[in-house]
Formats: sequence, C-alpha cells, structure tokens
Amino acid sequence: MAKRILIADDAAFMRMMIKNILVKNGYDVVGEAENGKQAVGMYMDSKPDLVTMDITMPEMDGLEAVKAIRSSDPGATIIMCSAMGQQAMVMDAIQAGAKDFIVKPFQQERLLQAVERALSRGK
Amino acid sequence: MNKTPELSSTHLDALREISNIGMGNAITSLAQMLNRRINMSVPLATFLPFEETVQLIGGAEEQVSCVSVSLSGDVPGTVMFFFNSQSTFRLVDLLMGLDLGTTTELDEMGESAVKEVGNVLTGSFIGAIYSLTSLSIKSAVPMFAYDMLGAILTSLVVASGRAEEQVLVLETKLFQEQAEANINGHFFMLTEPGSIQNLFDALGIAMS
Repeated sequence: MAKRILIADDAAFMRMMIKNILVKNGYDVVGEAENGKQAVGMYMDSKPDLVTMDITMPEMDGLEAVKAIRSSDPGATIIMCSAMGQQAMVMDAIQAGAKDFIVKPFQQERLLQAVERALSRGK
Repeated sequence: MNKTPELSSTHLDALREISNIGMGNAITSLAQMLNRRINMSVPLATFLPFEETVQLIGGAEEQVSCVSVSLSGDVPGTVMFFFNSQSTFRLVDLLMGLDLGTTTELDEMGESAVKEVGNVLTGSFIGAIYSLTSLSIKSAVPMFAYDMLGAILTSLVVASGRAEEQVLVLETKLFQEQAEANINGHFFMLTEPGSIQNLFDALGIAMS
C-alpha cells in the first residue's frame, strides 16, 4: 500500500515540485498545507505516514507546527524542508522532533532518500 | 536616519567578500533549482542612496518583479531581488521547464516560482554570512510585487520605516549557456540603523 504524505509549504510552486517527485515515485500525497496551522489540522484529519514541512510559513511556522503535531502524536514522522540551513535551525528542528532536515533547493534523490529513510525507521 | 559608516578599503574588501561568497552560494542554489549551469558576475558592489537604485535598475517606470524578504536577528533589514519583466518570464520558463519565450505573463504559479527563487537565494546568502561571521539571520515569508519600479520602491521605503540612508547594492548578472536566456537581477540589502555595522565588525574580526 502506498505511503501517505502531507506536504506543508507556503509556496504553491514548491508544493507542486515536491508532489511531482513523490507521486512519480509511488507515494500518495494526501494533502497540501499552505501554513503551519493548516498542516496541524490536516495532520489530525488524515494521519499521514510522513510530513514534509517548510519552516518559513505565515500563520504558524514549521517549527511550531512540528511541536504541535508531535505533542498530540509523538510518533509523527516529519522531515523539514527549508531554504534556511543554519546549524542552529537544524538543531532546533531535530530537537522539536523532526527526523531529517533538507535544505532547498534539493536534488530529487536527496528528498526521496530522506523520505525512505524516515519511513523505514518507523514510529 | 543614521549616517552610513565611512567605507575604508577594509570595508570595501569585506563587501566584495560578502558579495562573492553570498551571491556565489545563492547562484549555486539557483543553478540547482534550474538544473542549469549558471555563471554570475557581480560587477557592482557598493553603497548607494536608495533613490539612486532606481536608475540602476532602469527607471521608475520599468516593469519589474520584486521579491522582498524581511530579515531579523543579528543583521535586521530587508533584502530585495529585482528582475525586469523579460528576465522574470525567462526565470519562470526555466523553473517550469518550458521553452524559452513561453511565459508572457505572470500567473499564480509563476509568481510562486519567482517568490521561491527569492526565498532560496536569500537562504543561501544568509547562510554564507553565517559561515563567514557566525552572525545569525532569519528570513521571513517572501513578499512579491510585479509593478512599476518607482511604485514598488516607494512602498518598500514606507514599509521599512527607519532605515540606513544607503543601501548595499550587489548588481548581479546571471549568464546562462544560451545567451537568449540571460537573466539580469539586482540584489539590494536595506539594513536597519546600526546593523550594517554589526556585519562589518564581524567581518573585520573574521578577516583579521
């Protein structure tokens, strides 16, 4: 059964790019959130297997969203996907519970690798 | 408004270093996004009064796209990328994998693509500053405008409130394999009073 993924990014262009990569590689994209708040809501509704989470988003940023999702579902599998890759940020994200951190722009393989690894590690 | 710090030759060297590394990293990111080899030159790295930046880009009536990103942290301010309409359409063509010349107007997806370019370029730029200086800078959600240059600059000045009189200008020319696809961009950094000094101080330490 295809793994179900939720994409959270405020840029429609980025959501489209990530969705294309995932769908072409056999994943099921169950939702696209434009901001952290939407991401949290959609996560609760659809309980995806994995979330790709941008950091810089309006309403609620990705780090806050990770914390919110993980507090209600400690087993949530989330990988960060951001244009900002400074060490402090990466550490904050991992401490908040993200399983991996990809810096944009990323190669297709990097995204797929991160998704596969995060999913195989399990909950 | 504060007076911009006097520029010594050390400052100018530092400025060139920031622009080479910062824009270099940014262009590498852009090249990856576009899946193309992109060369760049930064023919101009200087401080200019805000008003003079208009002439640099092409005049108040030039139709341009502008991605502006608010920065917070150690060097608060705003970075702005300007592309004229031709360069904007070429950028969208390249990002969407379309034949050059396909895009003749901006739709929501095109706008989103250009905004994302600004987002990624900013991320690379502040990442480079961080590795050079350990100064930590955070970027916010990018804003986008496609309008006459004069109108955009006026609203940016109003929005920025108190700012240094002078703007850090890195004029950037991007060269592509196909000359028809050359993209001209201008990169400006508007900083809050005192924050450009943070940058120079940190660079002074880094370069001593």
